[in-house]
Amino acid sequence: MPTAVLDGFLEATVRSATPLAFAALGELVAERSGVMNIGLEGAIAAGALAAFLGAQIAGPEIGFVAGGVAGALVAAVFAFFVLALRSQQIIVGAAVSMLGIGLSASIHRAMVSAGASTAQVQTLASLPVPGLSTLPVVGDALFAQPISTYLLYFLFPLTGWVLYHTVFGVALRATGERPLAVVAAGHSAAKIQLAALIFGGVLAGLGGATLVVAQTGTFSDGMSAGRGFIAIAIVALGRWTPRGVVVGVLVFGAVSALQFLAQAMAWNVPYTLVLASPYVLTLAAMAIFRGSRTAPAALGQPLDGGL
Amino acid sequence: MSGEGFALELRGITKRFGATAALNDASLAVRSGSLHMLLGENGAGKTTFLNIATGNLQPDTGAILLNGQPVVWRHRADALAAGLSAVSQHFSLVPAMTVAENVALAGPRLGAKYNRREAEDTVRRIANNVGLDLDPAAMVGDLSVAAQQRAEIVKAIARNAPVLMLDEPTAVLSPPDAAELLLWLRGFVSSGRTVVVITHRIREAMGYGDEVTVLRRGQTALSAPISSTSEQEVVAAILGATDTGPLAFARQHSTAVRQTLGTSVLALHAASVIDAGGARRLRTTSLEVRGGEVVGVAGVEGAGQYQLLRLLAGRISPTSGRVTLPPSVGFVPEDRHRDALIADFSLVENMALRGIEARRGVMPWAHVALQVQSAITAFDVRGGDVRSTASALSGGNQQKFVLARELADAPQALVVENPTRGLDVRASQEILTRVRDSAAAGSAVVMYSSDINELLATADRVVVCFAGEVYETTLDSDAIGRAMVGVR
Repeated sequence: MPTAVLDGFLEATVRSATPLAFAALGELVAERSGVMNIGLEGAIAAGALAAFLGAQIAGPEIGFVAGGVAGALVAAVFAFFVLALRSQQIIVGAAVSMLGIGLSASIHRAMVSAGASTAQVQTLASLPVPGLSTLPVVGDALFAQPISTYLLYFLFPLTGWVLYHTVFGVALRATGERPLAVVAAGHSAAKIQLAALIFGGVLAGLGGATLVVAQTGTFSDGMSAGRGFIAIAIVALGRWTPRGVVVGVLVFGAVSALQFLAQAMAWNVPYTLVLASPYVLTLAAMAIFRGSRTAPAALGQPLDGGL
Repeated sequence: MSGEGFALELRGITKRFGATAALNDASLAVRSGSLHMLLGENGAGKTTFLNIATGNLQPDTGAILLNGQPVVWRHRADALAAGLSAVSQHFSLVPAMTVAENVALAGPRLGAKYNRREAEDTVRRIANNVGLDLDPAAMVGDLSVAAQQRAEIVKAIARNAPVLMLDEPTAVLSPPDAAELLLWLRGFVSSGRTVVVITHRIREAMGYGDEVTVLRRGQTALSAPISSTSEQEVVAAILGATDTGPLAFARQHSTAVRQTLGTSVLALHAASVIDAGGARRLRTTSLEVRGGEVVGVAGVEGAGQYQLLRLLAGRISPTSGRVTLPPSVGFVPEDRHRDALIADFSLVENMALRGIEARRGVMPWAHVALQVQSAITAFDVRGGDVRSTASALSGGNQQKFVLARELADAPQALVVENPTRGLDVRASQEILTRVRDSAAAGSAVVMYSSDINELLATADRVVVCFAGEVYETTLDSDAIGRAMVGVR
């Protein structure tokens, strides 16, 4: 394989992995607290649109932050139904997913037809890390990236540290295992889940924002393209640990980057098949790594009244 | 009255749930540095008392005093902060976490750092200080029940709680483990702490406690130092004056038509049950029930009757030994809402649930509807028809329907568990009469009841479960009551 193709492939891998990494890390925290938020897709879509609009008004950095805020708002809607009204997580999640996708597409269309939107926005500049970016093979792919990618390098270890090295992390994991134990210890399981959900929403929103301000520079309907659901699958495949999720997002990033490789190497395979590969991998991986006993014991179960 | 010398006082506590008063002007005074035993029958209000003391529930009236000072718990965290820790009957441990993590969870500040080594050292230090054997790095789910309990205790005292309350701590333990725990608690109070232990076992209370309080039907029936009371006095306080009342009705009603005893229908042959957690729930037991007789089963909660009844109903298999079952056994579990009926299903659908596991192919709904119709007629089920949901019926009619369903295919044996739970006198009589009728028609009947008088009114003989052992007693409320608390 020519070096240029390999570089391109690795770069495409990291690029594809970035939005997944944000979303999956957020979902990891939510699921460890016992909440299955399948509304992730909606938060990604909302984050993408908010980033697009924010970037038009105040530049890509503000756009990136706006994406996180929008993701938090979508997660707050989910949290209101699940925690305050004790609604079913799966149903609310599905509704929030569709709401986020539909609403962001509608707003975008309305703004385009009103002439209030440009087609392209400025993207975040690539900031090569002196020294590291000149490393052979991985230098460009890992260390000549926009600031959003570097943020991930901090967020993953930080999240791991909070989960395993603070009392809050212990309580959060305990909430996902046995909320009663948390309540018996005098803490509020609902507040812990709320915090986890909002964190997950912010990260999903940032994931959506990277699609716009770190990659395409534009917004298109349905650009979340099922990444929220793939992120959920990655959390399960990663066995609900930050390390496992890192491996998962890289594998999925690499499979998505096959598109790049197929074009560059002029492979004689149907293009649609290559496009479908991440989704096929999701199913294949679920079949291979089935029957996991490491899932949080109370995942998806509503809190009892009074918790 | 000053509260001096009392670590914890509950004064004049009343707590209602709907129309029933779980506690009615009940009081408890726990002397500092003492081991206080709280006794009472099932439903006497012991656990409600504990929940009020630890801030899980708010009393309707009454006061809580801690070291003589009135306190108000808005929620559990208040009581915890004031040093009142509780070990509940159902452990509040996270099985998938280590002992150290579970103890850290009880820390007051969520913002604190969690350092695995420090946390494990803390647990080791507390466990050593109080003389408990515990591995802080072990996964709670891998521990034995006794070790889990030690983990709960360490978790409860990690905040240096001066008052520790334990709800039936020995119910899940083997006798040697239970003795070890009680001995340890004795040593623990001698170091100046105060402990309240809820128990069913009178021997434990008399043998290890300093003082005893007995609750009966939500009221304080006895409160005395162990040294100045006697076993008889405590038993009498627990059981209250025996009144036979209208329950004798059921027995009179159908003993007249009783047949001579048939052959052995249901039998346990040296059967024992060890649960998934490794606890021995039922020791090696042999029992024979013949057609035409009602064998009553008595026992305090967790004494093994749950497993005994489910063995006899064919719902669980013995860990060792054998069970002889007839082709068909009717079973009426205690919690009809959870285990016997689906509230939102129609009576027809609920009827179809019996034997559903053996059915194949198309549901014969017309036939099932006929069964429901005849059950409604034969058992006088009122308030609904074939299409009504189970929830439309009153509790008594639901229970009649469940019993009718279980008897629909004329089973050779019938196992019923607290069949009159939550029913009024009239409905109770009807149910008990039906149970006796079933025996009179030749079925082998086993009935558990938490009400001794009900057993006396219905059963031909009575076996008592205590700490997983089953033995027969005379048909006498005193003898049964004593056997239930381990006095033979």
